[in-house]
Amino acid sequence: MNPSPASEAGYATRNYLNLPATGLRSWLRTLDHKRIGVMFLVAVSVAFALGGFFALLIRLELLTPGPTVMDAMTYNRVFTLHGVIMIFLFMIPAIPSGFGNFLLPIMLGAKDVAFPRLNLLSFYIYLAGAAVAIWGMIHGGADTGWTFYTPYSTTTTTRVVPVLLGAFIIGFSSILTGLNFIVTTHTMRAPGMGWGRIPLFVWGIYATSIIQVLATPVLGMALLLVAVENAFGWGIFDPARGGDPVLFQHFFWFYSHPAVYIMILPAMAVISEVVCAFARKNIFGYKAIAYSSLGIAFVGFFTWGHHLFTSGQSTLTGGIFGVLTMFVGVFTAIKVFNWTATLYRGSISFKTPFAYFVGFLFFLVFGGMTGVALATLSLDVHWHDTYFVVAHFHFIMVGATVMGFLAALHYWWPKITGRMYHEGWGLVGSVLVVLGFNFTFIPQFLLGNEGMPRRYFSYPERYWALNVASTAGASVLAFGLVLVLVVILVSLRWGRAAGPNPWGSAGFEWNTPSPPPPENYHETPVFTRGPHEYHHEEPGGSPPAGPEPKA
Amino acid sequence: MAGSVEHEEEERLSHSHVGRYAIVWIALLVLTLVTWWLSRFHIPGAWGVAVALGIASAKGALVALFFMHLWDQRGANRLVFVTSLVFVALLVVITLSDNATRFPLANPPGSEGALPLAPTDYPGGPPVPAPRDGPGP
Amino acid sequence: MRPDSATTAHLAHHFESLEKQQHAARLGMWLFLATEVLLFTVLFAGYAVYRYLFGPDFAAASRSLATWIGLVNTVVLVTSSFTVAMGFHRISIGDGKGTRNLFFLSVLLGFVFLGFKYVEYSHHFLAGELPGRYFTSTVNAGPGAPLFWALYFLITGLHGVHVVIGMTVLAVVGWKAGRGAYSREYHVPVELAGLYWHLVDLIWIFVFPLIYLI
Repeated sequence: MNPSPASEAGYATRNYLNLPATGLRSWLRTLDHKRIGVMFLVAVSVAFALGGFFALLIRLELLTPGPTVMDAMTYNRVFTLHGVIMIFLFMIPAIPSGFGNFLLPIMLGAKDVAFPRLNLLSFYIYLAGAAVAIWGMIHGGADTGWTFYTPYSTTTTTRVVPVLLGAFIIGFSSILTGLNFIVTTHTMRAPGMGWGRIPLFVWGIYATSIIQVLATPVLGMALLLVAVENAFGWGIFDPARGGDPVLFQHFFWFYSHPAVYIMILPAMAVISEVVCAFARKNIFGYKAIAYSSLGIAFVGFFTWGHHLFTSGQSTLTGGIFGVLTMFVGVFTAIKVFNWTATLYRGSISFKTPFAYFVGFLFFLVFGGMTGVALATLSLDVHWHDTYFVVAHFHFIMVGATVMGFLAALHYWWPKITGRMYHEGWGLVGSVLVVLGFNFTFIPQFLLGNEGMPRRYFSYPERYWALNVASTAGASVLAFGLVLVLVVILVSLRWGRAAGPNPWGSAGFEWNTPSPPPPENYHETPVFTRGPHEYHHEEPGGSPPAGPEPKA
Repeated sequence: MAGSVEHEEEERLSHSHVGRYAIVWIALLVLTLVTWWLSRFHIPGAWGVAVALGIASAKGALVALFFMHLWDQRGANRLVFVTSLVFVALLVVITLSDNATRFPLANPPGSEGALPLAPTDYPGGPPVPAPRDGPGP
Repeated sequence: MRPDSATTAHLAHHFESLEKQQHAARLGMWLFLATEVLLFTVLFAGYAVYRYLFGPDFAAASRSLATWIGLVNTVVLVTSSFTVAMGFHRISIGDGKGTRNLFFLSVLLGFVFLGFKYVEYSHHFLAGELPGRYFTSTVNAGPGAPLFWALYFLITGLHGVHVVIGMTVLAVVGWKAGRGAYSREYHVPVELAGLYWHLVDLIWIFVFPLIYLI
């Protein structure tokens, strides 16, 4: 691939950032998947900051056993805000809608996603849903937690309906993005890109999209039913009127458990790319990783009942769900073994994305193992609704997913912006973030095992020390994240030009200039090799033989 | 590209479609009348539902295969539809089997085997819900 | 590949060929229909659970529905699906006007369907069978009756919304077909509009025995 003649010192001046125009209008009306991806990244980062702010408020309140800075009702609203924002506004769209939008068409050698208008619509639906939800939060604010369990959510006097509708609307954004990616993967692949050559990032996003399309409508309808019951008193889930509140939990978790895989599969997809690029070695077990993504997506639908072990679900169903849940561990383990096997006899360069990979691996294994423990019916009775569960899902959803997000951010930052961040400060940030996570959530495992229940704003004094430790860890984590933000933003202005392939990566996306031109490739690429074929080349050197322009 | 061949194939198919549409339409009308007629006999137990759903599935299959052209569609489109049906079955069967195998008193009051619902609770329903413990996932 | 004029007019810039573009549109529509199916599934799953729990109440409440309205509406919707299929056939032999006429006929049948629904809804509302604060019916007073009515209004209401959307789509696409916007070679929008309408029909095929024929 010839570098663009106009590029100076590796920075492609003819790129999607300044073409067709640089004005705000041209961004807001763009159909370019790269710009939409960047807009999603900005939006989810704002949501992440907001959700993180509420997390800090929670930790601040729990610094002392009694009331610290807020009353109980405010605390309920704050943890609901934290959950709703982090899950619906940050984690679900973060990697698929942000990085997926930017990278998926480039990796497939396409000019754009299959339906560019739907793609833009998806972004605006996301903004609209976020606006409705946050409006509801400000004017009254739901106090139900992000799970909206009935009958409390249908009888509480706080303003639940706008929050429900907001989540309902955001669901459509998720569906449209998933639909777009599935169709793109099926129909937009460039010549030579057979199913066996699809990069693992795309496989992960593809599996995620299947879940998004199949599960999100169920959540939408379930939330709508709660809204109807709350607004008109129809008694669909109200036990006082013959309704079954556990039925709502079935509907809710039919979406929301697979939603955990909407959050983690894209992170796994990022890691599959990062581990190859920094071990400078072809992925071990390409097919196993690709199919285990689909396996997780499929099995993830058969496990939702493990959230209902203590809520009156039948013992038989609970037992079946418990066993099925453990199958997720099998597929996850396949991935973990393949990643570690990829490292074997690789040539590892310990750059920032790799540091996040190491953190990811630890969080995924630790969080995953506690998840298998929680899937055991009898153990779950003890741990249910304690901080053990909180720590478990934060290890997976925050630990692993945010590690994946940050790894992706550092790994593809040169591609997206054309600039390198400062490697040393990037590493410092990653160390702070990984340590901060551990200091925050390991004490919570201990707290939960001692029986501290979740969602209370006060606790007995014997839990004090561990709560202080957790809050201290949260401050380290927050500091680390702020440092990451600063490092990243500084590079925009002062970072050196990255060149098309600063990591010497074999990934297809590195064969375009950085930042890529509006049409991604100057000519339709033809793929002649697999996506992760390395030959131990030096970083910064010429990219391996990749998709070449058609003769 | 193999496009033109496919195209001619499509065209040939679409001519035979008219007769096919008419037959499917008549079959749908007949099946509608049959399911209505059978419902007047009040087939006991679960058999009534099974028969009604069986006929509905047959009608649905006719619509999907011939009106919606799944009969001569690409594999991917068929797979999408079949997958969605698998997940329909998953949600309906598992939620139902939970209620069917539950400890009866854990089912909603008023249902068979569970606690009776106070007569004042309906119609209209009271504004106050019964106290329940253990919120949260 | 030498694209002819009909191909280039509709080919979006980022697609390689019209075939691929049409395949993409079709696949996208099927995925969308899958989401619609799962949207309704929640209501059907709720129906299954509550009918299992309150079988006699459901049967009793269902008896106050006018079965003939359900039967007539089924016939109307099935027929409209047939006219839509015929409309698709007309455009595939290049007859846009024929498509317009048949689609408009389908829209008309949609209005007939909605008319009967209006009669039904107003009757049941006046009989005090709308759940919530207007629920005053004591005719079939079992604990399951309000649940049946809640599901009745939710399922048929959501289906009715889809009927209205489908009618709008058919009207727009039919009007455009009449003005010659589509041809023998390119008529994917006609096909997709038809698919949506058939799905609306498909769902009603299941609603009819479950709600009316208990």
